[in-house]
Amino acid sequence: MKNILYCSLLLFGLASCRKTLQESPKSIAEENFYNTPAEVQAALGAIYSPLRGSECLGAVYQSIQEATGDWFQGRASYAPISLFNGLDGTNTTRVGLIWNDFYLSIRNANLVVRDVPKGDGLTDDQKNASIGEARFMRALNYFFLVRNWGGVPLRTEQTMDSISIPRANPAAVYQLIVSDLSFAENNLPDVAPVSGRPSKWAAKTLLADVYFYEADYSDASQKAGEVIASGKYALLKVNTPDDFNNLFGAGIATTPEEIFYLDYATQSTWAFPLYTAGVGTPYLGVDGYYAIYSNTTNPLYANWDNNDFRKAYGWYSWNTPLGPTVILNKKFTDPGSKTPDNSYTLYRYADLLLLYAEATSLAAGAPTADAMEKLNMVHRRAYGYDPLQASPVDFQLADYDLPSFVTLTIRERGYETQAEGKRWLDLVRSGKAAQSIQAAWGKTVSQKAFLWPIPVSELNYNKALDPAKDQNPGY
Amino acid sequence: MRKKKLMLHFWVLPVCLVLGSLQRGHAQDRPLSGKVVGTDKAPIAGVSVMVGGGSTGTLTDENGNYFLAHIHAGDTIVFSFSGMAVQRVAVGERRTLDITLAGKVAGLGEVVVIGYGSVKRSDLTGSIASIKGEEMSSFATTTPLMALSGRSSGVQVLQNTGSPGGSISVRVRGANSIQGSNEPLYVIDGFPSSSTDPSILNTSDIQNIEVLKDASAVAIYGSRGANGVVLITTKKGKAGRTRVDYSSSYGVQSLRKQLDMMDAKQYATLYNEQAANDGQAPYFTQDQVNSFGKGYDWQDLTFRNAPIQNHSISVTGGDKKTQFAVDGSVFDQQGIIRNSSYKRYSLVASVNHDISDKFSVSYSAVLSRISDAKQESSGARFGASLISATLLAPPTLTPYNADGSYRVLSSSYSFVSEGLTNPLNFLNQATDGVASNKVLANAAVVYKPVDGLVLKIFGGIENSDDREDTYQSLLYYNSQGVASVSVTQTTSLLNENTISYSKTFGKHALSAVAGVTYQDFLITTLAGSGTGFLSDVSQTYNLGSAATPGIPQSSYTKSLLLSGLGRINYTYDDKYLLTASFRGDGSSKYSDGNKWGFFPSVAVAWKMKDEAFLRDVDFISDAKLRASWGATGSQAIQPYATLNQLYSGKTVFGDALYTTFAPGTVLPGDLKWETTDQKDIGLDAGILGNKVRLTMDYYIKNTRDLLNSVQLPSSLGFTSTIENVGQIRNQGLEIAADVNVLSGKFKWNVSGNISFNKSKVIKLYGGQDILGGYVDMLVFADNTDLLRVGKPTGVFYGYEENGYNANGNIQYKDLNKDGLINQNDKTIIGNPNPKFIYGFNSAMSYRNIELSFFFQGVQGNQLANISSVDDALVYGYGDNLLKDVYNNHWTPQNTHAKYPKITRSQSMLFSNRFIENGSYLRLRNVELAYSLPFARKWDVSWIHSMRVFVSGQNLLTVTGYSGWDPEVNSMGGANSTAQGVDYYTYPTAKSLTVGLRAGF
Repeated sequence: MKNILYCSLLLFGLASCRKTLQESPKSIAEENFYNTPAEVQAALGAIYSPLRGSECLGAVYQSIQEATGDWFQGRASYAPISLFNGLDGTNTTRVGLIWNDFYLSIRNANLVVRDVPKGDGLTDDQKNASIGEARFMRALNYFFLVRNWGGVPLRTEQTMDSISIPRANPAAVYQLIVSDLSFAENNLPDVAPVSGRPSKWAAKTLLADVYFYEADYSDASQKAGEVIASGKYALLKVNTPDDFNNLFGAGIATTPEEIFYLDYATQSTWAFPLYTAGVGTPYLGVDGYYAIYSNTTNPLYANWDNNDFRKAYGWYSWNTPLGPTVILNKKFTDPGSKTPDNSYTLYRYADLLLLYAEATSLAAGAPTADAMEKLNMVHRRAYGYDPLQASPVDFQLADYDLPSFVTLTIRERGYETQAEGKRWLDLVRSGKAAQSIQAAWGKTVSQKAFLWPIPVSELNYNKALDPAKDQNPGY
Repeated sequence: MRKKKLMLHFWVLPVCLVLGSLQRGHAQDRPLSGKVVGTDKAPIAGVSVMVGGGSTGTLTDENGNYFLAHIHAGDTIVFSFSGMAVQRVAVGERRTLDITLAGKVAGLGEVVVIGYGSVKRSDLTGSIASIKGEEMSSFATTTPLMALSGRSSGVQVLQNTGSPGGSISVRVRGANSIQGSNEPLYVIDGFPSSSTDPSILNTSDIQNIEVLKDASAVAIYGSRGANGVVLITTKKGKAGRTRVDYSSSYGVQSLRKQLDMMDAKQYATLYNEQAANDGQAPYFTQDQVNSFGKGYDWQDLTFRNAPIQNHSISVTGGDKKTQFAVDGSVFDQQGIIRNSSYKRYSLVASVNHDISDKFSVSYSAVLSRISDAKQESSGARFGASLISATLLAPPTLTPYNADGSYRVLSSSYSFVSEGLTNPLNFLNQATDGVASNKVLANAAVVYKPVDGLVLKIFGGIENSDDREDTYQSLLYYNSQGVASVSVTQTTSLLNENTISYSKTFGKHALSAVAGVTYQDFLITTLAGSGTGFLSDVSQTYNLGSAATPGIPQSSYTKSLLLSGLGRINYTYDDKYLLTASFRGDGSSKYSDGNKWGFFPSVAVAWKMKDEAFLRDVDFISDAKLRASWGATGSQAIQPYATLNQLYSGKTVFGDALYTTFAPGTVLPGDLKWETTDQKDIGLDAGILGNKVRLTMDYYIKNTRDLLNSVQLPSSLGFTSTIENVGQIRNQGLEIAADVNVLSGKFKWNVSGNISFNKSKVIKLYGGQDILGGYVDMLVFADNTDLLRVGKPTGVFYGYEENGYNANGNIQYKDLNKDGLINQNDKTIIGNPNPKFIYGFNSAMSYRNIELSFFFQGVQGNQLANISSVDDALVYGYGDNLLKDVYNNHWTPQNTHAKYPKITRSQSMLFSNRFIENGSYLRLRNVELAYSLPFARKWDVSWIHSMRVFVSGQNLLTVTGYSGWDPEVNSMGGANSTAQGVDYYTYPTAKSLTVGLRAGF
């Protein structure tokens, strides 16, 4: 009797197991997502989050870029970068993590591009705007990748599931970037729904920058010109050096200069200010690491006009064990705060104006009055003048030919974009890296320093890559 | 209790049947009564008293008395009891007959708890180690597991930290799993605990512990058995006199050894040497240097002598129908680091009641309350944790400024690290407290419809509510007040329905058990935090007042396990034993189609002593050969690991947080069970009338389908996935011996055990090494160990040094001769796995005085002394250093020094320099006890026994290891194959204890 009861219990148990053993987590499954506007917004947000961490655009990316430039030197574990001999082990690991973040962001963009069209809860316009945003971000990621690593594996919504994919050549990467941005500029809204997300003008700005790096100066000039002509942006007026805080400081909601920024908040802070600040600094509520620093003996600094507000705004002397001539950067600060929430000013109107000035002149074969005016707008503002009115500090067109004008814009970009992680790429783009580094630090740039190594994790596990042939030179 | 009777029947019956057929009854009837006692004069209940020649007989009652109504003069009475020598007495003319039963084979009669049953030790077919509660509780330990160390062969107890309540890792016959837990399964009173640590129990709550090691013993636990099973039985009542036992101990712990750091003068001299080497002006003037003396001893600031105490009282007893036990205990350990402590209050109760001959019920419950104040700030570099700051703080400085505020060490000198934090910050201004309420309750209903058949319905609840509060006050350096609270509720429900049957037919004895079980595991968490408080008054109790409230977090994880199990024990002629068991486990964690795993085992044993060729070999008193094979599993994955889940995150647009959803970075895979096949051959022997008892086991464990993290090209967006690919083998030899050297007035018993285990990685995904043990020391950041095919698990992996260059800098060997020193030059530089582990116990007694000592040791392992990066090799951050550095560093005159040139630009890699011999031999306990002769001399009969003792723990440690303590495992944990890393961990204490044990 009892045996029968138990046997039937056992059988019953086994039969109902199938159902009992199904897992039902209290979380969202991938299969049913991307169906409503709110879900798609959350999926779009996930394209941004991998980039925000301190190991990527939160601090380390900019620190490595600046440690390779002519304005900053790396300290401690960042010091080997500033030898311009390529990256050591620690920094190879760091750029490997940056690679992971860019590609994680790309995967999340690909998911949107692939899955949003299948959803039935969005209008076609909503779908296209979402796909436009995803493709904008995908292009941004590939633009970072192609400039720092050269050709990279191209993962799109069609190839995102293949484990092994060969390294594409840089031209193919740029081709994808341009096609993504062309889609984005036609489908993104005129005004971004909220600061921190792209508008069609952000797409045009990024596209201008992409053309600029491809040395397609007329297209670059044209796209930048469209953005300027839109009248959406203006330079912020400053009257004292500290007024630059209204542009770069913490807690600034938005400025007329913002084209596309990465936003941070006190609950999700930007670590980069800690990487420039010193120990016991008044510019933060915590001790900084001064991972990158400079020196008053650097000719760029020594020869910089003291009346330029950016000099007084951006730099201060600080007592460190590194010696009495050390200066630290305070472009991004949040006095008293342990949780700096400054925005990363990735694409800013001043930057675009300088891009326009240089590209237009290069396209025309000579500096133009329009180009000189755009350069002067940025220059005047830095001396406290109205950007739109002629000023005593204006450069005169007659004084410059094309090479000297290009040199002038690149110097101005150096003043303007310090600590924004852009300097080294600018120098490489313009072919001035070796001479600038020699002039600033007296160091020779080895060939190895021009591209970052493909991470070992990619070479080892991507079977379409040949570690011997596909690694960048010197690694 | 019930189980014991059951076993008794099938043990006794064949003996009686054989004897009974030889006798015939006649003549007239008369009664016979008497009492059965043991050699200790204590009455024995449940002794079988059979009338030879028939099937009539009775059992003795709880006072050992029996009564037989119809006896003839020619009858022979057969007295038998499990584990005792059978006595046959011809009645003759007697009306009363008192008997003293002696142990047949000492120890072999005891009943050993096994999975879903129990068996006499002599009938064991598997490899099982038993530890009695009284052996363990001779001194207070944070967890009962600590008491296992050295007590049982094949069981390695790794103390991860010396902190009160600190975690312990237990490895039974080596580590098998890469991804999953390597901790054994803990089964408390039949309940397979979901916890990897039986911290719910106080050592004094425990009656005995069994460690199941070979496959035949553990396979009945199927998918959870691969790492061994530890069965813990709490105190239970026995029929008879009500016993009250009280025990109490009080000890004082102290730091086992201070590290010999530089004094103030040496510190100043050395850093001036660094300044000179680096072309800087001296940091200290010669006058300052001369004025420095010994300076401040920061170890004195952090460490203290701290009490540890344990008090317990238990009341056990009952009658034939009802037995009970009630036990309460308090364990209170103050840590040797100030403001650290661990308290546990536990209450254990059990009751067993026979409703009728056929029905009985039982219930047992453990409740405990644990409060733990941690000072576990460990690891970190350049003095950014408590332990590291204590060692590295400059002896030239004192902790307080003149106004009583905490000195800020990082800005006291221009050359010290910005991370160097005054230890007072950690000690006084940061708290981390865990309060847990834990419950484990079991109930069973047993029904015995016919003799030999037992149906049992068993249910249990395990619940743990843990709340952790951390707070950093406003006085903490650079702090505006940081608070967090996290609450975790872990609940497991169990139902087991088993049927067991035992029967003896002539020379055949059979017993079997089968059952179906259900167990679920639910974990929910809730956490909140906040930064920026106006005052320290509210601490963690008003998160809402934070200037910046954190984002609340909560989670839910549920998994369940459905199982069918069965086991058959068959004995022929009490000589040949066979055990076969089986378990099928269905787990929700695995992919469809892979949810079920099946785990069979079989074991045979042969009691050779009763064979003709050994019967007359006098010096061998007992011999049993065992062999077993079986498969067990490991649930190495977390619930939901095979599902495509989306994870939430945050991003910021404008100034607001937006929620994001995306897949994680681990690509979900199709996963199945890890399976461990284990073969074991063992021998149990008794020599010279069992004066010497010996147990030996040789085993091979092969774990296959090991869950491996498989790296993916990170451009995929997923950086890894999990696959069933790896294979690891552990093989080893275990020997345990127990020698009764002297008996009589002067008694001396020694026992010892030794275990050799050799692990080898057989297969990994694509032959890829798996790197582990990542440390980031800033001066280098690297993986310290790896798994590599053909090598033992977790070997140390680093560079080899090649002396110093002309400048006094460390040089490394370019092993691949490519002219560069990089990752390709790393090689295997050490092995953290011991060649063998051992324990040695000696107990001597003369009249009322007992002296016992217990040694435990580990031999042939290596440790990676990562702590020495900061305290011996980094010269650019103003850290205080070992005195050894001061005495023995590179100078142009001393180019073969132990340490390199004192310069801030000294760069280094993880090299063989950090690998040290980790062998040690430790006097874990020495105890001198005196039994007060209340009953015997002073005629105080209500005091059954009373012992007072003094003891010392860890008083002696023989080791060549230079760090605080060789018993260290900074990266230890359930899932870790990394072991042997010493990275600023709470050091182990030594202690002196006085105590009292009394029985009433």
